[in-house]
Amino acid sequence: MEPTGRRPVSAVPQQEYLLQGSIMDNSCEVLLHRLRGLCDNSELTPENFNDYEMAYQIRGPTGTPLVLRARQALDYPGNPWHLRYIGQPEVGDKNRPTLVRSSIDVSTSKNLVQFLTELGFRLESEFVLKGQVFRKGRMKIIVAKVYQLLQQGNPKNLEPISQSHLVELSVVAPSGQDALADEVKSFAEQLKPLVQLEKIDHRRLQHI
Amino acid sequence: MALSVNVSVEAAQEYQVQEITYDGQEIYTQPLSMSENLTKLAHKIDFGKVDDDDSQDHLESTPNFCGEEQKELVTFQPSLWPWDSVRTKLRSALTEISVLVDVLNIAKEKRYMVLDPVSQDPPEVKNVAILVAKKKGLVSAAAIIQKGAERLRISQAEGKNRSLSDFHLELLNMRQKWRLRKQGSLILGDLSYRSVGSRFWQNGTYEVTKSEQPNTTVTSLSPGGPQVPRPSALKVTLPSELEGNSYIHVVIQKDTETIAAGDFTSPFISPIHSDSHWMNKLEGAQNVLFCKELFSQLAREAVQLQPSIPNLVVGNQITASLFPGVQLCFSLCHLTAQDKSKATILPAPLENKAVLEHSLYQLLREHHHQNIHLPTPHPVTGTLGVSKRRQIAGPEALDRHTLMESCKTNTWLEQIIEQTQHTILRLRTMYIIDTYASENKDPLIVAHWASLSSPTCSSVKINIMTHGYETIYRTPLVIHVERKTLKAVCRDGRVMNLSYEPQELTYLLMSQVSQHQVNAVQCLAKVMGWKVLSSSSHVGVGPVEPIGNASSVVMASSTGDRVIAIRCGPQTDIQVSVSSSPQEQDFYPSTLVRDRKWQNLSGSFREVALEKMEGKNFLNKMENLMACLTTC
Repeated sequence: MEPTGRRPVSAVPQQEYLLQGSIMDNSCEVLLHRLRGLCDNSELTPENFNDYEMAYQIRGPTGTPLVLRARQALDYPGNPWHLRYIGQPEVGDKNRPTLVRSSIDVSTSKNLVQFLTELGFRLESEFVLKGQVFRKGRMKIIVAKVYQLLQQGNPKNLEPISQSHLVELSVVAPSGQDALADEVKSFAEQLKPLVQLEKIDHRRLQHI
Repeated sequence: MALSVNVSVEAAQEYQVQEITYDGQEIYTQPLSMSENLTKLAHKIDFGKVDDDDSQDHLESTPNFCGEEQKELVTFQPSLWPWDSVRTKLRSALTEISVLVDVLNIAKEKRYMVLDPVSQDPPEVKNVAILVAKKKGLVSAAAIIQKGAERLRISQAEGKNRSLSDFHLELLNMRQKWRLRKQGSLILGDLSYRSVGSRFWQNGTYEVTKSEQPNTTVTSLSPGGPQVPRPSALKVTLPSELEGNSYIHVVIQKDTETIAAGDFTSPFISPIHSDSHWMNKLEGAQNVLFCKELFSQLAREAVQLQPSIPNLVVGNQITASLFPGVQLCFSLCHLTAQDKSKATILPAPLENKAVLEHSLYQLLREHHHQNIHLPTPHPVTGTLGVSKRRQIAGPEALDRHTLMESCKTNTWLEQIIEQTQHTILRLRTMYIIDTYASENKDPLIVAHWASLSSPTCSSVKINIMTHGYETIYRTPLVIHVERKTLKAVCRDGRVMNLSYEPQELTYLLMSQVSQHQVNAVQCLAKVMGWKVLSSSSHVGVGPVEPIGNASSVVMASSTGDRVIAIRCGPQTDIQVSVSSSPQEQDFYPSTLVRDRKWQNLSGSFREVALEKMEGKNFLNKMENLMACLTTC
């Protein structure tokens, strides 16, 4: 038993500062080259990743669906799964450099899917991301290709969604660190004109 | 109005406490009397601030004011002094203004008075003084112009014979090797290790400027002459605490005399002169920063660690206890050009352990490397900068204990103490084996140190053998030298754990040697055709050995008529005794033994004087003995 009277440490609300963009496959090599030069540990070969993400959805009593994203590293089968809740993105006005959304992360065991289904979640969508990940300080930059699954639940049977790569520049930090957003923005400036990283509101995309 | 209540405002009855004495008595300040209060308030008025307009107003109202004042003065005689100064000032001002007005009025009339410019006598012109002043000014102006011209000439000469390297080229060169940035009109550099993962508080900012030194070496650069290094066009200005050079001096102290003197300086490093090349200066400064970071971390750990014998941190020295009577001592040596003369006088202190110093540097470099080479999380959405163990801690439901265990890492100080302890133990073991081997030539002791070792573990293989009889018998022994203990693996697979006390190893070697002798004799007996009747490595009879046990062997010749008994103890010498049957050639019958046949029983053992025997070593002597006792 833990000594009583110890208050549980409440998690600091984390916020993700995010910029997104995309680049055509044929110029992706140039971007990777530049990123390798700009980011930390340029002496090492950039790290590849191969993630399989499933979005699960549940409808609460209020009617607004709650989406949780379960991720698994296909190239590291021993690693724990990763469950993620992403809040509504705040685009803000023009002066705000990045998109900000709240984020709750947790590493989970491998029977996550079973647990979610038993809770009443159901699979909404799934995709596979293959690409490379870079680091620059606390920033994480991924350049990855999005694949759709030809057969549900089988991440081996894949088909690329488009002729381009997804580029994502993100920092997860406790809320209120707006200086980080400027850092993200200035890094994004360095990647121009290869890739235009912008605040992209997904809700608006859905309406189109 | 009928309901109006009189409100009286008055000061509180409590007096201000001036002081409280130790016995609790309060001493109050005496309250100001009304007049004193007025004086106090009057002092607060700043009369100097009054504007011109205001003063005019004052002038008009002065008579009244003064009248009132005087009335007041009558009633409040003690308060005369503060207002008095005001009054006198105002009065004198009024007088002066009145006079001025009168004069102006009279001058305006132009009947009685005319204002004319006064013709002054021209002041006496001192020509010499003017000449000197002008000369001085011209000289200083000329100096400035000449300086500028000189600088221009230098910069033009640079372009022609390139003796002084180009500022911009050299700056470019510097930029390729060092971090530089431009801030305003300054060129600032950073020599800290932040970019490679250091989190030390001190920053290593330096300034780069163009060198102002005159190009004196141009003339000395003759074609055949010795190559004079070109003066650099860059000048770096370092923060004063980073100037010079430094290193960490690691010493293992045996005595307690010089423990933690706290003011250690070493003459081993050459200080960097103020006129040396910027590259050397920067490298030196970076080294200083590195050593400071290392030392501060070590000092912090030394204070935090709680060993049985506390660590000492005094001045620029850290002392940690390794073994009883042996300390490890780190000193941060920082040498600037000013200290050079001081350092050369000092006698050379104990020898620096370069290997340990290197290990320390390695620890800091590893730490830096770890800081920026955190594992990338997979899946990539995971949190950055979390170690793999912590990532699985949640999903694997690790308990508190396991988690604490996994987080536990040795501090640098512990690591370096472990390494030093091992070094000392290794040197000590080496010394013991070598001393023992040189003291005891029979049998020979050969030590092979394994070339593969780790900073905290090494091993030695010892072979005990007799010269000339190497193939007959040898006793191998392996000793693993660890941090605080030795582990000896004997021939028969027994493992013995020894402490760091040197005596224990000596005893082990002594007992191994005595057993070797007995075992070797047994092997020799086989070759010689003798039979081993009995052997024991731990004899229970005979005189008690001070340490360990004696071993013995009894052998009979092939015909069985001669028996040799050997006893060999770790500290006592080897005893060899011989008995034979028939006992003696001559037989004289006595009352007890009447028949000659009893002569055939083996007789009593007689000791052989080994030192008088011929032979190079014990086994050789035994071979000779066996050979001559063998009857055909």
